[in-house]
Amino acid sequence: MKWKQKLSENILDKLSIDFLKNQVLKNAYGNTDTLIAKLDPRILIAWYLFFGIVPWFVNDVAFLLTCFLLVMITTWLAHVAGLVMFIFVLGVFSQTGYLLIVSLFFGGNASTILPLLILTLKVTTCSLASITVFSGLDPDRLSNGLMWYGCPERLSFSIAYAYRILPMLMEEFQNVLLSYRLRGNPPDHSGWMGKIRYLIYQVRIIMQAFYPLILNTAKRSRTTVEALEMRGYRYAASNRSVKKMKLSALKVTHLDSVFLALSLLWMVGGSLLMTWI
Amino acid sequence: MKAIEIKDLTFTYPASQTPTLNHLYLEVEQGDFLAIVGNNGCGKSTFCKCLNGLIPHFIDGDFSGEVHVGGLDTRTSDVGTLATQVGYVYQDFENQIVRPTVLDDASYACLNYAMPDYLERGRAALKMVGLSTREKDYIWQLSGGQTHLLALAGAISLRPDILILDEPIAQLDPQHADEVYEILKTLNEKYGKTIIVIEHHTEYIANYCHHVMLMKEGGVAWKLPVDEALRHVDELQESHIFPPQVTQAAKRMQQAGTLAKTAKLPTTILQGMSTFQNCRYQPSFTRPTLKPETEKPVVTFKDMCVCYRSFKGEDRVVLDHLNLTIHKGDKIALVGSNGAGKSTLMKLMVGLVKPTSGTMFLNGQDVTGQRTKQLSPYVSLVYQNPEDMFIKDSIRRDIAYAMQVRQVTDHAKRTDELLSQFSLETLADRDGRLLSGGQMRKASLAIGIALNPPILLLDEPTANLDIATRHDILRTLKAIAATTDTVMIATHDMQLVCEWASRIVVLDDGKVIADGTRDDIFGNPTLLETVGIRPPEIFSMAQALDHQALLYTVEEFTSHFKEVGS
Repeated sequence: MKWKQKLSENILDKLSIDFLKNQVLKNAYGNTDTLIAKLDPRILIAWYLFFGIVPWFVNDVAFLLTCFLLVMITTWLAHVAGLVMFIFVLGVFSQTGYLLIVSLFFGGNASTILPLLILTLKVTTCSLASITVFSGLDPDRLSNGLMWYGCPERLSFSIAYAYRILPMLMEEFQNVLLSYRLRGNPPDHSGWMGKIRYLIYQVRIIMQAFYPLILNTAKRSRTTVEALEMRGYRYAASNRSVKKMKLSALKVTHLDSVFLALSLLWMVGGSLLMTWI
Repeated sequence: MKAIEIKDLTFTYPASQTPTLNHLYLEVEQGDFLAIVGNNGCGKSTFCKCLNGLIPHFIDGDFSGEVHVGGLDTRTSDVGTLATQVGYVYQDFENQIVRPTVLDDASYACLNYAMPDYLERGRAALKMVGLSTREKDYIWQLSGGQTHLLALAGAISLRPDILILDEPIAQLDPQHADEVYEILKTLNEKYGKTIIVIEHHTEYIANYCHHVMLMKEGGVAWKLPVDEALRHVDELQESHIFPPQVTQAAKRMQQAGTLAKTAKLPTTILQGMSTFQNCRYQPSFTRPTLKPETEKPVVTFKDMCVCYRSFKGEDRVVLDHLNLTIHKGDKIALVGSNGAGKSTLMKLMVGLVKPTSGTMFLNGQDVTGQRTKQLSPYVSLVYQNPEDMFIKDSIRRDIAYAMQVRQVTDHAKRTDELLSQFSLETLADRDGRLLSGGQMRKASLAIGIALNPPILLLDEPTANLDIATRHDILRTLKAIAATTDTVMIATHDMQLVCEWASRIVVLDDGKVIADGTRDDIFGNPTLLETVGIRPPEIFSMAQALDHQALLYTVEEFTSHFKEVGS
């Protein structure tokens, strides 16, 4: 029983805001030295468009499997944070994965499994490709890449700024939650009913905590808005030469060519090999 | 050419009946270091926003008069052009930083104004403020003081001739405050910048500024050279500005006849050396001895260790085999530099932080690792940022919350009592966030003692307050200490420590390195040096005159020093 209690406590500890903050930061900025992070964001976005769109229109298992294996490798290369991977696995499983397992149990045969397998492969490939690009690149490079493709300046600024204030927001949220913990009177959580009551209480507190969070954030943003004005944010948004300067830092290198070539080679070779098998 | 010329400036906010700035005239010379003082609501911040063009270009209102900054008329120049003349650093500077890495943020404005050498400008600005080594770091890796310097770098990257800082050191501990002012001094002397600070720490004004401008009801009462300005003791105090302690002491001694009326009022310790040169220390034998530790222990820490997981690299040890016993009736001041473990120790006592190892006893029982719910009837924590204590939409409901959820009988009555005890009755139905700094702090104290806890912990209760409000809070703290058994305050405010605490605990690197009365701590120069504690100015003054003199307040000083022959 003791280890069971330990385990449940451990899981609760893991799910603290601190942990979430840690994982978000790690995801955004923790892996700037990986191979994926070094690639040019424009190349990577183009690469992503291929693996995010094409699989939906192809039903050839060999091709899909090759795609899947490739994005699996790139995800591994991008050193994605554990939490993101966990959410990914949970997501895929709740979408289609469980159907695959259920149909296996209830005597499904190849004709039922195959369409499900294809669907699962499509979903996973597409998600893993997104994870590789959006979590492997740091938000700044990503937003510069998007800007090159003509996305409005506001969108790319929002992405970068969101990451800048996220840690602040989470800290604020954590402090408000601590206030509830300090002054609140949570129900006793012994027994199954207690555990459920405790969980309901916590969810309610988390929802209530949004009110002070929003107000505190609004208070902060007054300064930010004025500062942005002084620091020329509006001026830059309507100035083409600023965009050019921002994008001049982007450069396609040999690494990018090698990455693209290897991806292509893998796809052609893999598909042929799979079909032959 | 003057750096700033203002003629008949009047500004009224749209919702307001009376003008915030009222027929204001001012001239500031190039290369000046000007301090703006004045009580809350006298229009200091509004005035500064007129200089950088946010008024009238970005903030609406009724504007009349002329403002020339660096030769530019603010009505006809846009905010961008003015930004190359005037840099501005907010009081809540962390909200001014919008980019994730240091160099990025420092060069952000230059990039926006399409300057091709934006990176060099950013680097040059970082060099001026001494952040060159941190240019690749993420902003959340910086300390509070460094974040302030980064905000400053962001402003000077556009190479303005004028820099305006709104309460630059309000949130900083003394070392960082010194650092910021030393850098401002360099910018002023070496780079010829005109610097304007809104400041109420008159000790810093005396040591660094050239001129002082007193604002009153939206106008300029006077602008004088710093020494002369600070000698207007009565006039300053009317506006709730407290002159340096040495100035106050000399003034009082003159009034009491223990110092010659002709003596010049000193504004710094150096000047005090000559003013007080004929004063002799007269030790008294009736000095109140502080209560010995005879009471029973209420909280005991044994070999406490706390580590935090960090997002890159090794885990950080915050408390390192800490041992401490807190007795019933103690009024403890917990001091030490930022990151010494003060906040962690307090969070540990309310169960918000779990120890890595070690034991904590509460009233003789082992309570290590107990949840907040079990500890909160005995220990209450009020944290540094009062905004985070407000979880309801009025302070009445905030104060009542903890009692309501515990079904305390007649909680409504107790709430009313608390509201009147902290003189908050008229504000009871307002949202806590919308109150002034001092009112917010009082409300958070009322929330903290709502459950009548035997142990009360306060994290930086006087941070971010102007001096007048600080005095008010200090009175409130003394009143609380009379009704609450045991109080512990974590603070950088040494005047608070000296006037309030019966016991001082010094933390350094997660360990208790000193523990005793104020004589034990402040009488030990080596200790002060190692942990970087700065005693109140009046203490240093007394020490400079006589090594025997351990005097902590202006009152103690004036009653123990007398001029020979007067």
